[in-house]
Amino acid sequence: MLFAVSAITFGLLSAAGGDALSALRENPQVSEETVQRLSAVYGLDKPVTTRYFSWLGGIARGNLGESFLYKAPVLGLLLARLGNTAILSIVGLLIALLIAIPSAYLIVRIRSRLLDGFADVIVSLAASIPRMVAALVALLFLISISGKTFAGDRSPVALLLGGIVLALPVIAVLLAQAKGELVRAVDLAFVQFARSKGLSERAVILRHAFREALNPILTIGGLSIGTMVSGSVVVETILGWPGIGSLLVAAVKGRDVSLVMGIVVATSVVVWLANTLAEILQMINDPRVRSAEANTDL
Amino acid sequence: MRALTSIAWVILAMFGIVILFGDFIAPYDHTSQSRTDPSAPPSVIRFYDRDGEFHLRPFIYRQKLADPLSRTYEEDMSTPFPLTAFTPGDPYSFLGIFSAQTHLFGVEARDGAPRVYLLGTDELGRDRFSRLLRGIRFSLIVCPIGALLAWAIGISLGLISGSSGARTDAVLMGVADTMLALPTLVLILAARAAFPLELPPIRAAMLLVLIFAAVGWAETARLTRGLVRSIKQREYILAARAIGLSEARIMLRHILPNAWPTILRQGLVTLPTFLLAEVALSFLGVGLQEPEPSLGTLLAAAADVNQLQRDPLIVLAPGIVITVFVLAIRIVGGPTERKFSS
Repeated sequence: MLFAVSAITFGLLSAAGGDALSALRENPQVSEETVQRLSAVYGLDKPVTTRYFSWLGGIARGNLGESFLYKAPVLGLLLARLGNTAILSIVGLLIALLIAIPSAYLIVRIRSRLLDGFADVIVSLAASIPRMVAALVALLFLISISGKTFAGDRSPVALLLGGIVLALPVIAVLLAQAKGELVRAVDLAFVQFARSKGLSERAVILRHAFREALNPILTIGGLSIGTMVSGSVVVETILGWPGIGSLLVAAVKGRDVSLVMGIVVATSVVVWLANTLAEILQMINDPRVRSAEANTDL
Repeated sequence: MRALTSIAWVILAMFGIVILFGDFIAPYDHTSQSRTDPSAPPSVIRFYDRDGEFHLRPFIYRQKLADPLSRTYEEDMSTPFPLTAFTPGDPYSFLGIFSAQTHLFGVEARDGAPRVYLLGTDELGRDRFSRLLRGIRFSLIVCPIGALLAWAIGISLGLISGSSGARTDAVLMGVADTMLALPTLVLILAARAAFPLELPPIRAAMLLVLIFAAVGWAETARLTRGLVRSIKQREYILAARAIGLSEARIMLRHILPNAWPTILRQGLVTLPTFLLAEVALSFLGVGLQEPEPSLGTLLAAAADVNQLQRDPLIVLAPGIVITVFVLAIRIVGGPTERKFSS
């Protein structure tokens, strides 16, 4: 997968012709000679395939190349900011889980049409409000509590607000999915059996129905990491959070190819890790998934 | 639920009207500036004058810049300026065919007459309402075209993948899965980095359409392929094959029509994704550029802390428009969730 992504992005980036030196080339004060020397330094004079494979070889050795924009190794830039995005996304995911799962439980437990309808409205709204608008409202809130001096510092309040903004679309998907799965699960035979055994409805839902419903929720949770990363681009830019997302915007604006590539690779790795983690958790939760895997291997 | 769907259709129809007749509804051209009133608040439309007398025709007072630093305005109550319908004003091209200069409403441009601002002006003295209408038009033309293209590519690749051998299928779906796994906005931004930052509006729009199509086809392709594979198992396909119909005919006349409703719905539901992507790109400054407005560039003005603090609702108006549009699309697209069986 990584190969495919990096090859496509790399090909596209080179096909369009422009690179970080385009601006220099148009500058009359910079001589043709200087530009050529610089392209030789950065290896831009070689053909695309050569560049791609040397880049790929660099990756194998843990070298993501040099950023034109920041004049520093891409890997260092990424590592310096990856942590910030990770914190933001984890806070967002926690908020989403803490809101969506208990709400789904309450809706299924109480079985009130009114509450169900209310949840539908919330889900639709949370899914429809663009992250930019939510982030701008968060920014407004942030300014009004911290005064005019707000300048994109990494305060806990900013973290919390950013997390909420990131969580909104995920809450919508998670709540809808969790509710749907629980509604399906509570009518299954083995759950009915638990109920007829005389267990309290709470125990029936939490211990039996919930385990049945957990796997699709885990899948969605794993996929939502991608949503979070997309969201962090906008949220970080607006709230001035120094993470990968705002770095990507800077890289795109500066047409810093190696930095863009580095970020694409880093996010693919993170997304892949998240999905793999979700799969492992599914296997722990559900023996059927484990045996299904074993069967396909045979 | 029925009523809600009707309301959503009405809202979508209104968006359609704005796309078609936006230039007529807008009182001013989206680039026309009034240097005397930058960052003006919305005009107060009145029926009662300062003596408390009622006028059937609504009117406004002239707003005067009282303090240029803090951009505060005062109303000059001496002369009322009535609002008129079908007011002559900035020339535009009606439906792209006729040149016209009649606008739905406005204040007659006499000497010293003020301009009417439903949403105030931006920092350059341009009417926010006119720019909003123009931005809606741009965003809502570009995104459906991009979505349509992505959708068509997705259907074609899905049909190919669903009907061809295991190897082609594996390659196509492998690429589709890769694209689906990656964060959309990151992919779009990476693709955007390949092109010059500043582009004229038409080329920027075409670029956005192409990027959306290149990045957005995967979901439709996956869905189409799955539908084709499952419909292929049905008996009537076997029957069609038994009477000797060609593969292409079976695909187009027997399989596709049965997959159509689901694919159609999918196309509608993915529309907001493209709108939000356009908004995000323009917002981040790598989509459409000034002075041409799109919902994204208009919203970018809200990132200016001072403006945001002074009149949040007005600055966030493009955001509200986007939310309403996405909601309407979601409602029309219909719910797919399970309800309680009871």
